Amino acid sequence: MPLTLEIVTPEARVYSDTIDTVVIPTVEGEVGILPGHIPLLTQVEHGELRVTKGNQTHFLAVSGGFAEVDNDRVSILAEHAITEEKIDESAVETALKRAEQELHEAKHLDPAQYEHLQSMVRYSGTQLALKRRRR
Amino acid sequence: MASTRDIRRRIKSVKNTRQITKAMELVAASKMKKAQQAALAGRAYAQLMADMLAALANRVEESQHPFLVQRPVKTRGILLVTTDKGLCGPLNANLFKLVTEIKGAAKYYVIGRKGSQFIARTKRDMVAEFPVTDRVAFSEVKVAAEFMVKQFLEGVIDTIEVIYPRFKNTLVQEPVVRPVLPLANLKEFMAHVKADAHHQPARNADTREILFEPNATQVLEALLPFYVNRHLYQLVLSAKASEHSARMVAMKTAKDNATKLLGDLTLEYNKARQAGITQEILEIAAAQFAAA
Repeated sequence: MPLTLEIVTPEARVYSDTIDTVVIPTVEGEVGILPGHIPLLTQVEHGELRVTKGNQTHFLAVSGGFAEVDNDRVSILAEHAITEEKIDESAVETALKRAEQELHEAKHLDPAQYEHLQSMVRYSGTQLALKRRRR
Repeated sequence: MASTRDIRRRIKSVKNTRQITKAMELVAASKMKKAQQAALAGRAYAQLMADMLAALANRVEESQHPFLVQRPVKTRGILLVTTDKGLCGPLNANLFKLVTEIKGAAKYYVIGRKGSQFIARTKRDMVAEFPVTDRVAFSEVKVAAEFMVKQFLEGVIDTIEVIYPRFKNTLVQEPVVRPVLPLANLKEFMAHVKADAHHQPARNADTREILFEPNATQVLEALLPFYVNRHLYQLVLSAKASEHSARMVAMKTAKDNATKLLGDLTLEYNKARQAGITQEILEIAAAQFAAA
């Protein structure tokens, strides 16, 4: 019995398919999910998500959120998520540079903004790492 | 009968009004499209999050987190989501009706200038007002949400409830009071979320023990505040979609009324003009007849 994977961000439903296995980056390290996994609720970290379907493996970059496994249904709530093919390297690079620059220049950022920029930097970093390692 | 000059003047002014309302209708229509899209896109996310919470709630003790504990309600905390500008039909008035129905101690937190004016005018206890732009950034709502949660945890308020115009469709916006915290009555709450999302994938729940990583407390502590922020955000998005829809409909009605009025006035004007001409011809004919 295959798994159903669903990845949803506030903007859209990024991924929805039946799959064989998925490896999720969590705060405790990577977690591999196979069919028949017991119910699980965990926090998702910035990182790469590996999806295996048949003999194909897909990669996605995700940023923080939550994952739930229940009855062979894997649901992932993430702040951002993007499939490998959709990552635009140059756009991400500029975004990363801009965020880093803002972090350096601004001395008095309020905590919320600081947090947002930090997460931008980490998410961009994840996307770049994912894109470049494939080559 | 009014003189032709008076009627001409009125026609001109009605024409101006029609032009303005027409422009406002078009602006509201384009904003509405965006706001509705944003509200609809967020629904899948809200739904999934509610699902998670529901799965969670069945399996944890209610006393594990302050958000889940029902305590005696002394002061209600109410977030009133209104518009900044008027000209949107009965949208705000309907919300205010709900506010006046609230008896007993309550503290108010307001989004939107119309709401804060109303609370101030009726001398209710307003704690804070939060500005939200048309685009509704998550960070704007987050500020409000976190402030209310802080007051909730400190015991200043014992509930968090939201009064907002729920977006049903372009023609129907329904003013509702939506309890957000505490999450004690989860069943009722789930019913609300389902009604919003319009669909519910059938789920036969897994009855095995749920595993939390790193542990239940930590996951709860991360998920619940996150959930409250996101949920409030979704409600504000829905309110924005309602606002623009209501404004578009109100402006469309105004425009249609102006067009109708214009038709009536033009008819009256032509009648008056015709009567004037007939009168003149009669006079000339009479004068000629007398001279001959």
